[in-house]
Amino acid sequence: MLYIKIADLKIRIENKYNYVRALCKDYIIDECEDYDISVSVSDKEIDDEISVAEVAVSRGYAEGVCVYRNICYQLPVKFNSYLLHSALIEYEGKGYAFAAKSGTGKSTHIAIWQRVFGDKVRIINGDKPIVRYLDGEFIAYGTPWCGKEGFAVNDSVPLRALCFIERSPTNSIERIPASDAVLRVFQQILTPRDAATLDALFPLLDKTLMQVPCYLLKCNMDDEAATVAYNGMNNDN
Amino acid sequence: MKIKSGFVVREVAGQTIVVALGEATKIFNGMIRLNETGRIIWDMLSVGSEKADIVRRITEEYDIDEKTVQADVDAFINTLQGANILE
Repeated sequence: MLYIKIADLKIRIENKYNYVRALCKDYIIDECEDYDISVSVSDKEIDDEISVAEVAVSRGYAEGVCVYRNICYQLPVKFNSYLLHSALIEYEGKGYAFAAKSGTGKSTHIAIWQRVFGDKVRIINGDKPIVRYLDGEFIAYGTPWCGKEGFAVNDSVPLRALCFIERSPTNSIERIPASDAVLRVFQQILTPRDAATLDALFPLLDKTLMQVPCYLLKCNMDDEAATVAYNGMNNDN
Repeated sequence: MKIKSGFVVREVAGQTIVVALGEATKIFNGMIRLNETGRIIWDMLSVGSEKADIVRRITEEYDIDEKTVQADVDAFINTLQGANILE
């Protein structure tokens, strides 16, 4: 048994393998009765996860994936929050979430931000942050689940921009309307499996896209990609 | 011809989106965006309307020639059939 806190939620995990405990070491809290979420993973779920994994994974690793999925399925209905598959950074107190099809170069792009703007750019989470609507504001939270580079900081930041990345020979950025962004954001969330989750998640996405400016960044791997992105996301507010 | 059960239509940020829920996620895992006429076709297929009725309704409502509508409706239905969404 393991207790962790992510996105300001207390979570009880009935783990079978030590992998999850090691993964979550920076998020562990004392045992408590008033946890918000409780998850366990069946052997069948672990078997299924191993069979669909693209590379050979351990049972512990597979359990970790299932634990997070089971947590995330509970987020929209109960906690006005959801998993946003993206690379989340903080710079000058603002949270920027970069989303793209896998292999496009999210990690590369945020590495360019660090190269150009220095240590003041903090990578909060490289792959799977949680976005939560709290007191009228969208806050993005780091979690232990963070992609292969291992960028994970146990912290949160107000989400100020959502930026979709496409590769291009030249660098440009444009603000895109919510109606365009919503189709892109669908690629980056856990598709709901039941009506209650759907009816909690969709209004939440609607609100996110109305409140958080969305951009389409077409970029290469030059330093200019970061300056174009930064300027584009800061010239209208 | 009818849409299998388990598909729901919702509006998000001005877009009409179809999502599979429950058992239906086993046959279709993803989301479909519908435009205005797509929504009409979808809604009519949901209640098992005949193709001829769908074509007639769109032809009347949008003042487009029947041949074009027929081709569009066929293409839409083929896509749904390809995705195994029709019963």
